[in-house]
Amino acid sequence: MERKELEAKVIELIAAAYNKDAAAITVESTFAEDLKGASVQMVGLVSELENELDVMVALQDASGCATVADLVDLVENEL
Amino acid sequence: MSVLDEIYTRAKADPQRVAFPEATNEKMLQAAYEAGQEGYIIPILVGGKAQIEALVREKGYDLSVLTIVDIHDEEYKNKVIDAYVNLPDTRLKAKALGRRMEDPLYFAMAMQAVDEADVTFAGIDNTTGDVLLAGQMIIGLKPGITTVSSIGLADIPGYEGSEGSLLAVGDSAVCTNPDPEQLASIAISACDTVHELLGWEPRCAMVSYSTLGSGQGPLIDKVTEALKIANEKRPDLAIDGEFQLDAAIVPAVAEKKVKRESKVAGKANVLIWPDLNVGNTAVKLIQQFGHADAYGPMLQGFNKVVCDCSRGAPVSEIKGNVVISAVRAAGAKK
Repeated sequence: MERKELEAKVIELIAAAYNKDAAAITVESTFAEDLKGASVQMVGLVSELENELDVMVALQDASGCATVADLVDLVENEL
Repeated sequence: MSVLDEIYTRAKADPQRVAFPEATNEKMLQAAYEAGQEGYIIPILVGGKAQIEALVREKGYDLSVLTIVDIHDEEYKNKVIDAYVNLPDTRLKAKALGRRMEDPLYFAMAMQAVDEADVTFAGIDNTTGDVLLAGQMIIGLKPGITTVSSIGLADIPGYEGSEGSLLAVGDSAVCTNPDPEQLASIAISACDTVHELLGWEPRCAMVSYSTLGSGQGPLIDKVTEALKIANEKRPDLAIDGEFQLDAAIVPAVAEKKVKRESKVAGKANVLIWPDLNVGNTAVKLIQQFGHADAYGPMLQGFNKVVCDCSRGAPVSEIKGNVVISAVRAAGAKK
């Protein structure tokens, strides 16, 4: 999967998990400031990454991502 | 009869199916076996069948007390997966679940999710984080609940509260700095937990350093906001505040400080701390100066009962927590 395609897919899954508009999320968006989710949202996101992209990302690694780009890097490494 | 004796009696009257995904741990196996043999639970050991059977034989335990579920039994695994993916609002799809179920912890929880077990009991080999993640992913949170939390039960010698020497307190272990939404979730979950476990009608006080506006500031605002959310979400529950601790549990103080109707003030049987700094310290105070026996922490907020025990727990403590979790599960069915 190309990087841009992966970014779009991850953003789509983040939007669903955090109940946000995908158009408002970019790779620079931060989890702490822009998305402001609770841990339960991150659990939902990790589950969806597993369902849709067939990758197992550890919750603690995902929770350690500051930005959407960091998460895309993490997923890319697992693909 | 002590509270634990009462809980044991209730467990025996309606034994529940408890899944043990760490059955190859000797302490866990002993606790599961003893609780099963004595009739408090129906133990289900989840893992590699050959390894579990070998350990059971080595210990000289009667195999007829135990049900062993082999995580390598593909037919049964597929049956659980099929049932799971047909449930509403589950997170994982078949392929992802199947992969997760290679881990006995996830296998046990998937069984629980599809009513093949009533409780999942773990935490001696897995970390608390492992258990919380698996619980959120497979069992999920109750509708309207935004965080996993915990509650403890203190039996305080000499304390004469509205439930005798007993007082439920939370969260003293899991949720470090809850926001108002999460604090409301802790209060709601705590009410449900004490009702399921002890049959109490919960009277839940949101504790603060202020009573009904006697102080002002952001720390109090958090508590009052949480109270508002909790009351809106669950108007059926008696949750009130903000109260100082004495106004919550001492009728004479409540009479002076709470100048309005309250089902809770002065007679609270559940106390909700504003954060973990308070919660952890308060429990230590109750134990050190009140010489209380503390039971728990019991995890709450999940759709079904998930129990995490301390990794250093002795068999007697594990067994007590197994029985407590079984009684909660029985109570939740009523």
